[in-house]
Amino acid sequence: MPRIPRAIIDEMVAHARADLPNEACGIVHAREGVPVASYRVKNAAASPYRYLMDPMQQYRLETQRDESGETLFAIYHSHVASEGRPSQTDRRQAFFPPAQDDNDFDRDPAYPGTWYILVSLAEEPPTVRAFQVSRGGIVDEEPIETATLLSVLAAAASLVYRWVRARWPWLFW
Amino acid sequence: MAVQVHVTSVIQKAVDGQRQVAADGNTVGEVIANLESRYPGFRATVMDDSGQLHRFVNIYLNDEDIRYLQGSDTALSDGDQVSILPALAGG
Repeated sequence: MPRIPRAIIDEMVAHARADLPNEACGIVHAREGVPVASYRVKNAAASPYRYLMDPMQQYRLETQRDESGETLFAIYHSHVASEGRPSQTDRRQAFFPPAQDDNDFDRDPAYPGTWYILVSLAEEPPTVRAFQVSRGGIVDEEPIETATLLSVLAAAASLVYRWVRARWPWLFW
Repeated sequence: MAVQVHVTSVIQKAVDGQRQVAADGNTVGEVIANLESRYPGFRATVMDDSGQLHRFVNIYLNDEDIRYLQGSDTALSDGDQVSILPALAGG
């Protein structure tokens, strides 16, 4: 179950609204598995029906992850008027190479282990849903657990505690 | 020219799961041919039979998209870094 801070959910929705009438797209980075930041990426397709992440921005974020030790947590995009689950195009494009039709999923996801987040503006309030794709074209939805500032701090404190305990076990004798 | 090729995500499967591989070539196309000779199937991962780069693959030389340079004819220098990423797209 993906656990995502409320601030990041709100930012993805704000981005989806800001890029109307076109679809918006972006990337969420994590540290130690905890989402820490979302980045708006230009939709090079500039379309209400398609997105293509700007290749240079995509590359710079990849470089940033390598340098900072952050990881790719999620790829998000918006649907401006359709429901918030992966469209046929989303499903096909999630594989590498992209599937040509719906009987063509004997291949690997392009970014295995990454969440695909859909922000739908078809309803008010907008919906935000998370999916994972796996070999064979399988798309699984998992409910998003919204983390508040307090729960993020608690998770961080627990990480620090485990780290201190592993490093200086004698403190706990 | 000796260059480093940085390979992301699913494309790593084409080079035995490595994140970075050393390769030789005077152009991006020659580097791809060099990798194909060591990792059969690599070429088809990034380009079609006619040598056209797949649109769902992005290749960068240092910090530039080779589509805006000379594509697979882009010349390389010793120590260059070539990065290969699957594009991100949908509908």
